[in-house]
Amino acid sequence: MSCLMTLSHAPYGSQCAKESLDAALILAAFEQQPAILFVDEGVLQLLPTSQSPASHKHIGKIISALEIYDINDLWVEQESLDRFGLVADELSQTVNVIARSKVARLCAQYDQHLVF
Amino acid sequence: MAGFLYMSDLNAVISPSIIPTSLTYVIVVRCGPDQQSQALSAFRFTEELLLQGHQVLRVFFYQQGVHLASGLRVMPQDELNLTTLWQQLSLDYGLELAVCIAAALQSGIVDQQESSRYELAGASLASQFTLVGLGQLAAASAECNRLVSFGG
Repeated sequence: MSCLMTLSHAPYGSQCAKESLDAALILAAFEQQPAILFVDEGVLQLLPTSQSPASHKHIGKIISALEIYDINDLWVEQESLDRFGLVADELSQTVNVIARSKVARLCAQYDQHLVF
Repeated sequence: MAGFLYMSDLNAVISPSIIPTSLTYVIVVRCGPDQQSQALSAFRFTEELLLQGHQVLRVFFYQQGVHLASGLRVMPQDELNLTTLWQQLSLDYGLELAVCIAAALQSGIVDQQESSRYELAGASLASQFTLVGLGQLAAASAECNRLVSFGG
C-alpha cells in the first residue's frame, strides 16, 4: 500500500503538526514510508528554525528525522509557498514543488491518502 | 476484473464473502465531541458501511477523537451521545474501537491498567474501546482496501 499524507497545519499553536508527523514516522517504522505533501500553513513546518516554543517539541527536529526513516518523497504546493512569500530553497529539506492544479494527479498515484 | 467474475462464475456472485463490491475499511476519527457534525459523519458512515455488508477492520481514534472514548462525559438529554452510539455499534457488529494510547493518556482517557500504572484517581475509558499504539493504525492501513479519515 502506498500512502500519501497531506499536512496542512502550522508547526506550533496546536499538537496537530506533531501528531501528524508521529503518524508518518510510525508508518515508516512499519515499512510503509508515506509520501508527504505540505500545503497551506503546513509548509511552515519546513522552515529552518533554531528554537521552538517551550510548550512544543521542536518540529524541525522531527522533520529532519524523516530522512532517517527513509521518508524522502516530500512535496510542497507552489501556491502555499507563494502565500507565505517562500521559495523552496529556503526550506530545511529538499522538496518537490507541485502546482495546485496537479495535486489531484499526485493523489491518484497513491493507494491511500491520509489528510491532517 | 469485477465484471469478469460476475459473468463467469455465478458462485462468486452468490457467496457474500467474495461479492466484488464488499471492501475492507479502516476509519480514522480525528474529530472530537466538540466537532459534533464531523464526529457524527464518521459514525454514520461507519454504520452505513456495516449495514451494506462491508468489513470495517478497525476504527482508530486519534487527536481530538480520543475524547469520544471517554466514559465520563455526560451529554444534555436532547443531544446525541456519540460514545454510546459507537459502543452500541461495536456490540452489534463486533467492531474494534481502537484509541491511540499516547493521545488518550494526555487527555485523561485511561483504562484500569494505565490508571494503576500511573497511580491515577480512576479509569475513564468507556467500555468497548481499547487503548492501542499508533502502530495499530499503520498495521491496519496495510491490510485495508480503503482508509477513510474524518476531522479537519
